[in-house]
Amino acid sequence: MSEFDAPERVVVIDDDYAMRLSCGKILAKMGLPAEIFEDGARGLAAVAAAKPAMVIVDLKMPGISGMEVISRVHEIDSQIIIVVITGYATIDTAVQAMKCGAYDFLPKPFSPDELRLIVNRGLERRRLALESQRHEVEQTLLKRRFVTFVSHQLRTPLVAIHQYLDVLKHLDQTADDPLRRQEWLDRCLTRIDELQNLIADWLTLARVEGGTLIRERVKVDLNRIISEILKTYRETAAAESVSLEDRLPGECLFVCGDRNCLSVLFDNLITNAVKYNKAGGKVTVSGARSHGEVVISVTDTGIGIPEKCRPFLFDEFFRVQDDGAKKTAGTGLGLHISKRIVSEMGGTIEVASEPGAGSTFSVHLPAWREPDRDAGSQNDAEQEAITDGR
Amino acid sequence: MQNKKRLLMVDDDRDFVAAVSCYLEANGFTVFRAHDGAEGIRLAKLERPDLILMDIMMNERTEGFFTIHEIRRDPALKSVPIFVLSSFCTRLPDFEIPSSGGWLAHDMFFAKPVDVAQLLERIRQRLGKAA
Repeated sequence: MSEFDAPERVVVIDDDYAMRLSCGKILAKMGLPAEIFEDGARGLAAVAAAKPAMVIVDLKMPGISGMEVISRVHEIDSQIIIVVITGYATIDTAVQAMKCGAYDFLPKPFSPDELRLIVNRGLERRRLALESQRHEVEQTLLKRRFVTFVSHQLRTPLVAIHQYLDVLKHLDQTADDPLRRQEWLDRCLTRIDELQNLIADWLTLARVEGGTLIRERVKVDLNRIISEILKTYRETAAAESVSLEDRLPGECLFVCGDRNCLSVLFDNLITNAVKYNKAGGKVTVSGARSHGEVVISVTDTGIGIPEKCRPFLFDEFFRVQDDGAKKTAGTGLGLHISKRIVSEMGGTIEVASEPGAGSTFSVHLPAWREPDRDAGSQNDAEQEAITDGR
Repeated sequence: MQNKKRLLMVDDDRDFVAAVSCYLEANGFTVFRAHDGAEGIRLAKLERPDLILMDIMMNERTEGFFTIHEIRRDPALKSVPIFVLSSFCTRLPDFEIPSSGGWLAHDMFFAKPVDVAQLLERIRQRLGKAA
């Protein structure tokens, strides 16, 4: 946003010549462009024109009073930080200035350091306010776009199902064909599945974002989890003429995490490797322990991911669109969810890919560390008791 | 059968295209199918359809408004009637698009899902009896 790119300008309004001049000099040394004015009218005109980050104003001036300057400045822009200078530093005037919206006040005489301190503090406060405002705007925009996108995603399969049923109803009288009828009903069921998957993925995502997906942090053997997933994919893979190769080591690969989440994670990666493969292709899953990490790699011999798409691969709703890509159903959320899960568990996920040849997704997760004193025990309750006892 | 009216349907949802085009074919039209804007432009130039049914929010490559603009830039296609079929506005079931901003009189908008019987009637009105 422009507020962040533009240098922060300061306007100084003081009828005392020496005072405004030295303020201007100190500010210039701080790298802040400052404009100095001898009365409220000229100062306010400059504020309206330049929208500075800060106004430093003397309370007691001929013409427009300092108090009035404060309220007029905030009419122009309520985000401008106002610091008042006063020669009669009584609690009363200070409180009154604060009530009018001044951020802080400087009693005369003050040292350059005092001015610097107060200016820096004021500008920092403004930055924070602007940032949180910007964050809010971004969130609102994102939410609005999300709603539009989601309703389109939900509506599309519903429209298709509606249209099939509507046409089937109309065709009854003219040209009924039992084969076509069967095919269309199958398509309706497929589109309903698509909707179910979409809703399931959104729910998973909402749970990851809300921090409620990861329910436990226990000792989990990835070897076992992944072997089980591979078993469930044998049939699907065979139907797509893709072979699955289990190259996991003979030993257990223990990490600390949530069994359910880890299943979702590797299920996503293996589904993708099968889905975006070629007929006669292969999916290889390998695993190893190194440097306190467990690394699992899922490699496919599929269509690969164009380089320009890789930076966005883990973004919400991103889907690779390429002329060579076959039509594949998907919600565009699988990899986003996977990345969120990996990050939640303190790990990383990366991809290497060669278009036309295939891709490898590697997940690095911190390996499980046995609590120090019980080398042999596998009893979770016992381990917990020892940890808690310390 | 020589005089069948020819329609081009451009929509990235293959199921939607399958259902609607089947109904129109059963009612005597020839329907060409395109599943993205680029293919739509290609088929429009090649087949010179009598009327085009166009989706707007398409996921891949060219979206609908741009596709319409490109098709109408071709002198041979500049007066082909276009019916927009979209789910981006569902409050009005169908209406004639005011003929300004590049739209022609009798270009129409239909909200998805479409009432196929209504759509058929409007196409027939626009083209004269087809079959």
